[in-house]
Amino acid sequence: MKRRIASLLLAALILLPLSSCGKKGADSLTLLGKKSDLERSYMTAIFDLYEEKTGQSLNLISIEDAQYESEAVKLFESGGAPDIFLHFNNADLARFDVDGVFYDLSHEAWVSDLTDGACDYCRDAQGRLLGLPFWESSVSGCYYNRTILDGLGLKPAATQADFDMLCQALLEAGLTPICWPADGCGWIPQFGLDPIFADDPELLRSLNANEIAYSDIPAVQSMVDWIAGASEKGWFGGNALKTGWDDIGPALASGQAVMTFIWDTWFTTDFTPGRYGAEDFALMPVFMNTAPLGTYEGGNLNMMMVNKSSPRLEKALAFLEFCATPENYNAAFDSIATVSCFKGQTTNIQSPMVTEAADSIRRLERVSTAASRIAGYSGDDTAALIRALLAGETDSAQCVAEMDRVRMEEAKKQGVPGF
Amino acid sequence: MKKWFGKLFAPVLICAVAVASVALGAWYYNFMSARIFEDSTGHLEEIYAQVNRTFGAFVERNYGLLTNWGQYFARTGGQTVEDAVAYIEPKQGYWGFSEFYFLTADGRAFTMYGEEREMALDGCWDTVMVNHTPIMACYTLPSGEDATVFVAPSEQGLFNGTEFSAVAMSFTSADLSGALKVDAFSGKARSFVVHSDGRVLLSTQSGGMVFQNFLQYLKGASDLDEEELARIQSDWKNGVTGLVLCSVGGTERCVLYQRVGFQDFVLVSSVPENVVSAGFLSVQKTTVLVLAVIFLLICAGLITLLIVRGRRLSAMNQMEIQSRDLMYDALSESLDDIFLMLDLETLRTDYISPNVERLLGIRAQEAESDIRLLGKCAVNGDMFIPMSELQAIPFKGSIYRECEYMHQQSGERRWYRMTIYRTGTLDVKKCIFVLSDRTLERQMNLNLQEALTAARSANEAKSNFLSNMSHDIRTPMNAIVGFTMLLEKDASDVEKVREYTGKIKASSHHLLSLINDVLDMSKIESGKTYLNPDLFSLPDLMNELNIMILPQARAKGQTFTMHLKGAPPETLIGDRLRLNQILINLLSNAVKYTPEGGSIEFTVAELAGSSPQLSKLRFTVRDDGIGMSREYLDQIFVPFSREISSVTNKVQGTGLGMAITKNLVDLMGGIITVDSTLGEGSTFTVELSFALPEKAEAAQGLRGRVARLLVADDDEDVCLDVVETMRDTGVAVSYVTGGIDAVKEAVRAHSAGEKYDVILLDWKMPDMNGVDTARSIRENIGADVPILVLTSYDWSDIEAQAREAGISAFMPKPFFASTFWRTVEPFFAAEAPGQPPEPVQAPPASLQGRHFLIAEDNELNAEILTEMLDMEGASSELAVNGREAIELFQRSQPGHFDMILMDVQMPVMNGYEATRTIRASDHPEAASIPIVAMTANTFAEDVKAAFDAGMDGHLAKPIDMDAVRALLGKLFEERRSQGGQDA
Repeated sequence: MKRRIASLLLAALILLPLSSCGKKGADSLTLLGKKSDLERSYMTAIFDLYEEKTGQSLNLISIEDAQYESEAVKLFESGGAPDIFLHFNNADLARFDVDGVFYDLSHEAWVSDLTDGACDYCRDAQGRLLGLPFWESSVSGCYYNRTILDGLGLKPAATQADFDMLCQALLEAGLTPICWPADGCGWIPQFGLDPIFADDPELLRSLNANEIAYSDIPAVQSMVDWIAGASEKGWFGGNALKTGWDDIGPALASGQAVMTFIWDTWFTTDFTPGRYGAEDFALMPVFMNTAPLGTYEGGNLNMMMVNKSSPRLEKALAFLEFCATPENYNAAFDSIATVSCFKGQTTNIQSPMVTEAADSIRRLERVSTAASRIAGYSGDDTAALIRALLAGETDSAQCVAEMDRVRMEEAKKQGVPGF
Repeated sequence: MKKWFGKLFAPVLICAVAVASVALGAWYYNFMSARIFEDSTGHLEEIYAQVNRTFGAFVERNYGLLTNWGQYFARTGGQTVEDAVAYIEPKQGYWGFSEFYFLTADGRAFTMYGEEREMALDGCWDTVMVNHTPIMACYTLPSGEDATVFVAPSEQGLFNGTEFSAVAMSFTSADLSGALKVDAFSGKARSFVVHSDGRVLLSTQSGGMVFQNFLQYLKGASDLDEEELARIQSDWKNGVTGLVLCSVGGTERCVLYQRVGFQDFVLVSSVPENVVSAGFLSVQKTTVLVLAVIFLLICAGLITLLIVRGRRLSAMNQMEIQSRDLMYDALSESLDDIFLMLDLETLRTDYISPNVERLLGIRAQEAESDIRLLGKCAVNGDMFIPMSELQAIPFKGSIYRECEYMHQQSGERRWYRMTIYRTGTLDVKKCIFVLSDRTLERQMNLNLQEALTAARSANEAKSNFLSNMSHDIRTPMNAIVGFTMLLEKDASDVEKVREYTGKIKASSHHLLSLINDVLDMSKIESGKTYLNPDLFSLPDLMNELNIMILPQARAKGQTFTMHLKGAPPETLIGDRLRLNQILINLLSNAVKYTPEGGSIEFTVAELAGSSPQLSKLRFTVRDDGIGMSREYLDQIFVPFSREISSVTNKVQGTGLGMAITKNLVDLMGGIITVDSTLGEGSTFTVELSFALPEKAEAAQGLRGRVARLLVADDDEDVCLDVVETMRDTGVAVSYVTGGIDAVKEAVRAHSAGEKYDVILLDWKMPDMNGVDTARSIRENIGADVPILVLTSYDWSDIEAQAREAGISAFMPKPFFASTFWRTVEPFFAAEAPGQPPEPVQAPPASLQGRHFLIAEDNELNAEILTEMLDMEGASSELAVNGREAIELFQRSQPGHFDMILMDVQMPVMNGYEATRTIRASDHPEAASIPIVAMTANTFAEDVKAAFDAGMDGHLAKPIDMDAVRALLGKLFEERRSQGGQDA
């Protein structure tokens, strides 16, 4: 380890769980991040590369994952804001004074090298670029067994109508069209919600200002109706309520289920080949009756944000430029399985499914909006309500009303203004 | 077999009808389904032939439009984008296509906006460009949507500076769906235009383009085998129209294919079979449903009809049963027959008549629930009849039993004849029990039997009676006849005459008593004996008994004593004559069957249980005579029974006395018992109840004056009797058991100033008799205190001597308080103690000088009576009937007749009528002249009738002059006491 690790106590109580690492110096850049994030291989690689190439040192401030949000807020509030701050562009970011603290990077040179999805992800509601995305990423969509479809003379759907027809055709062929893990898998509903709010930022703002609710948005009801209808038609099979995270892989590997809504890296991390392997699968958009041509959800990216009040502002911007340099990021992401955030990214390993669907992804990818930007949104809570819907415990209208209730309660709990 | 058939016939028939109905229905359903399927597929073929024609027209139209537009663009020359857009856009909206293209001969395609597109045309560029033939091909829009492009060659022209040789337009699935409007079968049909190899060109349904190759889809998703798929593909290649029925994902689908007529395209339609036949099936289902409903309605109607009819029948049966039950109940209430129906299988009681409670004391409901209760009523448990015996009764047969039942409440026993009838059906075994009350019949039988026995006994008794009577009557008659003959022979010998007449007289008396007893017995047994209850005095009764029995006892040297126990009431209500008859019988027998020197004791005691209204008395006659054997005791009350012994043979008797006594006691509601030991004596006990009159306090005024009484009697029981009798009178009684002690006590008391107010002495005491004791007392204490002698004997012989000795008065035994008070009253009322009262008993009257009027129709009786009166020194006048007697009396002067002896049964006018007439006459002595009945009618009722007619006495024939004298003496005494003529 070339970099020295130093612990820095900002305050007796506040800084106790914090630790800093790096080459200490008066003009050393301070970089605050979650402990586990800072320990990612591509992160340590770029830090090391920076120090090695520039001779500059980095003062890394790491905070235990569990206390990261609260401790970071305290740090900012106590005047101890770092030069560079690592954070996802999600709802938690609202706890910081984004406008007042962070530098608008929209005009940096490296912006044009960002992929559209990555760039969109890093922008705020006003279109300002909040940070440099430097993170491993994935594409969430509908992964389907292409072998089975080909065998049946079927094509992937290009429209919601196609998708519905495809599901019915597969069902009639004796297959479970969609593996819908209703038991505790909270990531799926957000795929349907993303296009609604990503395509209409004003709608998202109104929702987060508690000016409107899900029940005021026909598309939300339309999505829930579609889920209920698909379940009734049998598109989720007969065991959706008992299907959980661990059941997805076997269902797809065995060919029992033909499609599921997941992300590409899942095939690397969680899928065990069976009758069918990862090579049998391909990617098409998710259709949940909220986007006629379907949608993909881009990955959640950790951004490097710059403290615009930092005395080392120029140095911080230089650090970001260093990271955005193709030579450097390709070195850092060498052999890392991820979707590219940079157009010049070549050394990472991108799944063939994503590559093959790149054109479609380019057209239909949305930033992960629901999970990260809807105030009070909880994937698990929403999934639980959808499960109750599938179990027949509620109807569609009640489900939407409950989604509103739990969202509002959570937003109130988080102290979101307007709730 | 028959039974089995009967049981299963109905279920089997119902099942058969049901199976036949289901089979018929299934056949009909299949038949109709097949016909419907044929019709439906025909209909389907027609529909898709129309679709095919529509599609053909659509294609021709598009080709025509493209040809025209291409010609337009080629001929107008040098089309710019703006020109093209201006020309096409209005048409685009009208004809519903997505995009319009200009195609170059080198394989490039441009939209009317000038955008270049990649368009492969399914490899058919040459067909268009070389062969100048319009085509249809697949195309993917930039949005990713699938579309169908129609391409038509045109004259060469310029578009946006590029030479084009063909024009094209694209339709998405949505566009086609709108243009073709193939929305038959509720949108559940899928229609494709496919290449002969199955590749899909277009779909008429939105989203249908996900089917890339429909033949391949059928291969993977349907149950069609390779051969069938090959045949289909062959049909498609050869343009053959066909229809295939296959299962896709478990759904039966009709796959219909027809050649389109353009290129190698085939119109393929896949429709769910149930959708194809939906309309017809709906009709079929409706038909079946209607038929089923009609069938069910008919069944329901029939069932309802059966139920209603069944209920009506059931109600009628129930009503009939209830009516019958009511009738049976009413009938049974008026009958003493019990009806019961028993189910032999379940042992349940179907019916039991309610009179079972009245007749046997069991509630009908209880008997119904537990038939064994009925068996418990059987006295000997003979109700129990084994089930095997009941089962063995032939159908419609019967058995019967007779048994005795006891009423469970009252204990009454009744005889029933139980007849058991076997009834029911082949399956249901029932028995009807009829318990007919035979108690009356049985009682009648018993009575008849008893009557027969009685008749036999009576006959036997009659024979015995005649035998006895013959013997008993002949015996005295023999004596009378025999001594009469001897009297004639020895008439001159006075001594013998006296001896013979005495024996004749004795035999006559015996014969008379025999006749009296026989008549009395006859009267009692015929039930014509009535009681005449009236007030009577117990002391008087006992006094009369004493008078009657004592002489007889004294004649045999017997001791006769009378005792009183428990101070019985002295005035009673009862039939004095009958009581007297009972006691005389017992006492006479005691005298008769007690040897000389024996003792006879008569005791009257009041029993516990007496009340102010009723007194229960026990009369005991005890003797130490010959006694009776135990065997004879059993028949002592049987008429004419006499114990045969050496002693009794010497005693004359009729053998009816005890029978009469027993009957009289029974008549009076009493009990007579006898205890006897042969050679030791007998004790007869009679217990009778007497009503009591309202109590009248006698001699109330004397109670304060008589304070102390001294009693002296050697029999201490007598002394105690006096103490007991006087207990509640306020008189202090002291007693001594001898004459000497009596004198000492009297002197002591006198000297001590505690003198006795009355001294009561027994006449006969061992140490000093009553007379001497009285004399001694008088000598010591003077003449102030009344001294009474209590005796059972006739004191007339000693009266003069007693009075001389200072005895104030006599009292008969036993001691009665009323007699005591009556006796001592004169001494205290007259304030002349010691003065002798009037004699208490009048001696028999002398007939000397008396003049009688005799009314007697029988000359012989009249002569005897006249002679007998003459012998007594009396005279008489004779009237032969009542009328004549009245006339004689009416004509007589007062005092002419002393008495009228009136026969009762006389011609012209009987004695009763004559007496009433005399009493009612105006003769001065009409009310006072003594009239005595003189009749052979000797019964109590005869006596009563005589008194009721106004007579003063009753004499039984034959006339006993002693009885005449006694009666006359009594009557004359009464007249004298009333201030009459003889006073």
